[in-house]
Amino acid sequence: MDRQQIVTPAATARALKFWNPYLAGVALGLVLLAAFLVTGSGLGASGAANRMGAAAVNAVAPAHADATPQLAKLKASSHSILDDRLVFMVLGVVLGGAVAAYTAGRMGRKVIKGPRMKSSRTRLVLALTGGVIMGVAARLSLGCTSGQALSGGALLSVGSWIFMFSVFGGGYGMAYFVRRQWT
Amino acid sequence: MSAIFPFTSLSGDQRELGLVVAVLLGFAFGFVLERAGFGRADKLAAQFYLRDLTVFKVMFSAIVTAMLGVVLASGLGLVDLKPLSEGAVSTTYVWSMMIGGVLLGVGFIISGYCPGTSAVSAASGNLDGVFTFVGVILGSMVYAEAYPVLGKLYGLGDQGQLFLYDVLKVPAPVLAIAVTLMALGMFVGGEKLEKLMARRRGAEAPVAVTERRPRRLAFSVLGATGLVTLATLALPTSPAAAPSPAAVASIGQERLARRVLDEPWTLRILDVRARKTCEASRIPGAECAPLATVGELGLPYAAGERDLVLVASNTLAKVPDAARGYHGNVYVLKGGFSGWRDYALKRPTPPAATASAAEKEAYMFRSALNSAMTGRKPPPPPAAGAVKYVPRPKKKKGGGCG
Repeated sequence: MDRQQIVTPAATARALKFWNPYLAGVALGLVLLAAFLVTGSGLGASGAANRMGAAAVNAVAPAHADATPQLAKLKASSHSILDDRLVFMVLGVVLGGAVAAYTAGRMGRKVIKGPRMKSSRTRLVLALTGGVIMGVAARLSLGCTSGQALSGGALLSVGSWIFMFSVFGGGYGMAYFVRRQWT
Repeated sequence: MSAIFPFTSLSGDQRELGLVVAVLLGFAFGFVLERAGFGRADKLAAQFYLRDLTVFKVMFSAIVTAMLGVVLASGLGLVDLKPLSEGAVSTTYVWSMMIGGVLLGVGFIISGYCPGTSAVSAASGNLDGVFTFVGVILGSMVYAEAYPVLGKLYGLGDQGQLFLYDVLKVPAPVLAIAVTLMALGMFVGGEKLEKLMARRRGAEAPVAVTERRPRRLAFSVLGATGLVTLATLALPTSPAAAPSPAAVASIGQERLARRVLDEPWTLRILDVRARKTCEASRIPGAECAPLATVGELGLPYAAGERDLVLVASNTLAKVPDAARGYHGNVYVLKGGFSGWRDYALKRPTPPAATASAAEKEAYMFRSALNSAMTGRKPPPPPAAGAVKYVPRPKKKKGGGCG
């Protein structure tokens, strides 16, 4: 896992050349606007993770899924747990991300970590831990940064703005304690 | 225009088409996120050490763009802002969203991703992205399993669906331009901060700070769109041009009384006082609909060809939300029912003989109204002012046996 890729500085610079943030933001906003006008709802991601988990639990232990209200709810809402627009949307996100990364020369098996972090294993443990925390958080607040902050924020929902500022608050508050990972 | 593929009502072939649209939107979403640099944890985490504010810039540019697009489309009458928003956003749970937001921020800085960007990162081959996305799936299941405990944090501070423009009581375009200006101001401030932090570290500022042309382009596009959005306020078709809740259209007692007598079929009168009070005495033709039950009348779906008049005990200060969606004119009776009692149910005092013709006409109307409403004999007509009272000469008394 600690395999080092040998890259030239020029290739690194090319691989780290991103779109201008404001233009990328406008482009993202236009995608979101298209979602509102065409489908009547915004973008989302964590809802798909929830359904993927529920589908996995249901495949292994269907009786347990029926006995867990939060999972049984998803089972009842459609004929298959995965038959949901957000699952398809995340499928698209993965495809779009892969095409963008490949065409920009950023595709490749690697572990991204801060300059001081040596161990990929620690990095992956932290990634998993943070993911679990976010999985719980996204259920509590009915969405993550995509569905709640971005989509709800653009429609000026009060809860979305509270959520968005809380995300930044939580991130800045915690940043000091994990600074060795990133700086 | 309503949504072309509203997912809630899709079935059969249309549903499949809707899912194809979802994949396409997801594709564009993932593509843009990757190209913005959101597939890399170090780029995202730099936001929280104030080294590279790309997350903030991309996110707010996107919010402002989509917000202006929706508000502008609504100002031009292409979409209805409220139904669209109500279909697309969740309920506001103040405390749950605050707790969930802080937790998500904590998870963000630990993992280096948010749920959506972890999928993009995984797609570009980053194992840390894969682990984060798997973590999000596991976390969702932890929530489902621990719902008896964690569910206690869910649904706290329920405000229903709540929008900033309703809380601040400003038309949506005004709020939209304010949010746009705030974002542009924060972008400028953010870049100053990035330069300052870079100088402190003795490093170079992020590339984006030195790119002037794309920034100028994005700022001018957003600023110009904001101004056009604001200008839609002046359009007569703009829903925001309708009277705001602060300025309620009202109808006077006399005007209402005349219409009750002359053209009752053009009116729909709602008496919003307590049912018993209303049943005891009300304006002819009024429906008794206490304030709390106005929502049950389905006013936003009514045809709206009649003018809606709301009657409270006094002047109603605020049109209830349920009535604001009515398609026809909505009026509040000035003075409410107590005004009606004084105007229509009390016997009018006849005007002085010197009163103008208009005053006399008004008196004639009121006495006719009073008689019609109470069944009493009409009060006397006003004295004819122009005729001078000339006492008739007295007959001479006396004389004969008569």
